[in-house]
Amino acid sequence: MTALLDVAGVTKRFGGLVAVKDVSFALEAGEITGILGPNGAGKTTLFNLLTGFMATDRGIVRFEGRALADLPPHRIVNLGLARTFQLCRPFRGMSVLENASVGCLAPRVRHEGSVTARAQRILEQVGLADKAATLVDVLPYGDLRRLEIARALATRPKLLLLDEPFAGLGSNEIGPLSALIRKLHAEEGLTILIIEHKLREFMQLVRRVIAMDFGEVIAIGPPQEIVRHPRVVEAYIGRTEAPLGLA
Amino acid sequence: MRRLNKDVVGAVAVLVLLAMAPLVVRSDYFSGILTVSVIYAIWAASWDFMSGLTGRENFGHALFIGAGAYTAAFLNSKLDLSPWWGLPAGALVAVAFSLVVGFPTLRLRGPYFALAMLAAATIMQRLTRIFWQYTGGEEGIPGLDPLFESHLATYYFCLAALVLASVLLLFLARSSWGTILRAIRGDEAACQAAGINVTFYKIAALMISAAVAGAGGALYADYQEAVTPDVFAVSLSITLIIMVYVGGMGTIWGPVGGAILLAMLPELLRGLGEYRLWVYSVVLIFILFYSPGGLVAPLWRWLTRPSS
Repeated sequence: MTALLDVAGVTKRFGGLVAVKDVSFALEAGEITGILGPNGAGKTTLFNLLTGFMATDRGIVRFEGRALADLPPHRIVNLGLARTFQLCRPFRGMSVLENASVGCLAPRVRHEGSVTARAQRILEQVGLADKAATLVDVLPYGDLRRLEIARALATRPKLLLLDEPFAGLGSNEIGPLSALIRKLHAEEGLTILIIEHKLREFMQLVRRVIAMDFGEVIAIGPPQEIVRHPRVVEAYIGRTEAPLGLA
Repeated sequence: MRRLNKDVVGAVAVLVLLAMAPLVVRSDYFSGILTVSVIYAIWAASWDFMSGLTGRENFGHALFIGAGAYTAAFLNSKLDLSPWWGLPAGALVAVAFSLVVGFPTLRLRGPYFALAMLAAATIMQRLTRIFWQYTGGEEGIPGLDPLFESHLATYYFCLAALVLASVLLLFLARSSWGTILRAIRGDEAACQAAGINVTFYKIAALMISAAVAGAGGALYADYQEAVTPDVFAVSLSITLIIMVYVGGMGTIWGPVGGAILLAMLPELLRGLGEYRLWVYSVVLIFILFYSPGGLVAPLWRWLTRPSS
């Protein structure tokens, strides 16, 4: 059986800086995996390479066995690989429902019945149904994070990439969002790849962690092993024997 | 639902007013002003469809207007075709121009599209002067056949064209197409992340915008019974943008109101004599300064707000 996502030797340079260096990993369908790494480790760049927002310099990304090289972002989304952004990117001047509708208009799902009804259902799923008519410009930050996920979900992805979904959330908002992601994974059978740089909640959410530093994969394994991995410890707190308080 | 009803009543009221106006004030001069106002409204609505909805400003809408006007003039004066051919042909040629400019520039972010439109319109204006043997240079091409013998008939035809164009553009703007175009204005990258082919929608919107503007340009040539390089002028493009701003960008009907209002305003102020342009400018500055969302659309929404 081929992996849902197969990343082989992907490299991206910005001038002299190697932002992503020879990264390889594979995701099986139904997995929930995390990418861990300090700021600047190349996590978001890797997401941009996987989703076609940036072109790879070297290496191959395969989704369901199909090479994604040179496909524009919207084509990749229509193959079933959707993403959210680290900084929320709502469509300003439009309502919450309209924002979700845009995802429902992707060619992949466009002909699956009433756009409004589907958008409404997605909003119920992420817990924004009662704010459908609200203008996104006045939406609180926590709701914008959910709307990011709603827009991606609307394209009915097989693989969902979440770029720091917990960033900027208060401690009382992290639990519910984590529960939402868990629910999407359990009930919808969605394969999920999440970027975070540190978070207890995150380590409890994922089954497997890909740790990155300076653009390279330094370790892959279950969360409880990753937090004790010497190179992960080094990346986070430098060369020290101090215990890592992540898990 | 009640919101929509009020809008329809408002639109019908304005339409009746426009239809009655030349019957009340019986003068060729006045019906001429009305006709030009209505044609401006067609142009402003077509600008708004592409640029108001997607947020990609077009600083050279006169390119499409001029292309339509000169196409109509050529067909009528050189090929001796009926002026009616000018309307579809003008629209087609304008669409061809929209592809030439839109295809390379709308894939890019940044100001390339706006600048390319500005440059293309200016170049075309120059070309009409350089190839004066064919275009008549500064004099343009005079002596075109009118669509109708009577000025009043021409006016009503233009008014019907405005209704048709507005209904078509409003229908598209309120369909899922409009949702996508407004999402493009919101955030292009997010739109791509929602699986939308942003470039396709921008180019298609520009083609529709160009078709309407080109047909409007042909209409203008037929009404004037002549065409001059002024139809490519930067000042025309800028005037349209001001009309759209005053009307309320992205609403289609707002710019229609803004265009008619601003096209009539200098005439309404005629009593002020030499001061009228001064007053006109001050009025404009006040509107843009105190009501950045425009005047017509916000005012109408305020007037028809649900009473609580």
